[in-house]
Amino acid sequence: VRRKRRFSVPREDREVSPEEKEKRLRSLATAFPEERIERTFYLACTADIIDPYVPPEGDARLTSLSKDGLKQKMEKLKQTAASQLALRKIKDHDLDFSTKTFPEKAQEIFIEAHNCLANFNKQKLHSLVTERCYPEMVRGNRYKTIRWSFVESLEPPRVVQVRCDSIVNRGNLYGQVTVRMHTRQILAIYDRFGRLMYGGEQVPKDVLEYVVFERYLVNPYGTWRMHGKIVPEWAPPKDPIVK
Amino acid sequence: WLASGSLFPLSCIHTSTSLEKIGKWEKKNRIVYPPQLPGEPRRPAEIYHCRRDIKYSKDKMWYLAKLIKGMSIDQALAQLEFNDKKGAKVIKEVLLEAQEIAVRNHNVEFKSNLHIAESVAGKGHYVKRIRYHGKGMFGIMNIVRCHYFVKLVEGPPPPPEPPRTGFDQAKEYVQQLRSRTLVNTL
Repeated sequence: VRRKRRFSVPREDREVSPEEKEKRLRSLATAFPEERIERTFYLACTADIIDPYVPPEGDARLTSLSKDGLKQKMEKLKQTAASQLALRKIKDHDLDFSTKTFPEKAQEIFIEAHNCLANFNKQKLHSLVTERCYPEMVRGNRYKTIRWSFVESLEPPRVVQVRCDSIVNRGNLYGQVTVRMHTRQILAIYDRFGRLMYGGEQVPKDVLEYVVFERYLVNPYGTWRMHGKIVPEWAPPKDPIVK
Repeated sequence: WLASGSLFPLSCIHTSTSLEKIGKWEKKNRIVYPPQLPGEPRRPAEIYHCRRDIKYSKDKMWYLAKLIKGMSIDQALAQLEFNDKKGAKVIKEVLLEAQEIAVRNHNVEFKSNLHIAESVAGKGHYVKRIRYHGKGMFGIMNIVRCHYFVKLVEGPPPPPEPPRTGFDQAKEYVQQLRSRTLVNTL
């Protein structure tokens, strides 16, 4: 016969109504306050491109026909109200910004980022490319060899659109600048066994790209980093992967 | 610079499976060869796959592994489908998985252009249990498990070796006699 008392409720608590039980538990909560487990996180980049730029059709093809007309149209587009407002906001936070010097810096960042991709230099790549763009660039590349080189720039890069936005709180500003680049590049991707999968080492290709750069404006040590690319619908289809 | 105590109180970011030991066969899928020059012959793709701790005996699994060894993948799958053993079902699943991985991750063009270069069954973790006999006697029995390893290579299966005839043996004997030399002399 087991004599240890189990599962017994004390006599005072046997006929207590649920409201009284609740009152008692609530009074105990003040003696042991709940510890808030705070885990802070820091958003260094936005999740998507704000207001993606819609490039006009036939951008790289019609410039040879009517150069002046298109150039004027381009400059008019740049001077839309939203871009000007955003530009002013960016100049408030970052005094050295100018639409004339920025495209060259942007191109340098672009070239360095792609060189880091080819050499798998992850630390440097993180500093040149935002967290949203990094997985897009790096996915599927772990067991492949990439060879990339920049031949020349066919047209000088140009700032096409400027946008400024804040997420979560009102003063949390991120600036995004779209730069149009028309360049010649060489890309060759080899798969795990060293077989050529895409492109060629001796085949330079003309590439028209709209690259978006972003910077966390409120942070005084923020830098301009590559945020993403805009692929227009009329872009020519890519070559199939060689198997 | 946000403080988000209320948003994610206990979000764990580190969820990786690096505590379990990664076996040698799985690591063979990670080697990367340097790019080939355009003049070299195309290197055939090799895919390593395995399944660990299958509840089957390694000796019984060996028969199936030896059956499959030099076949093309289609022939192997066909043979396993109509084989009555329990291990045949497991090996068939493993082969289908390996085929899927080859096409998806390792840049293989045709899924039936693969053949089985190596197929091996190895001993898995054994667990000891008590087997109760009559009259209070007991025996210690082993719960037997096995691993199964397979290596698929791209390309048609290699032709089978012709069996050794008496003529070949005779030729080798004569060759041995002819290649004798005098040792430790002038």
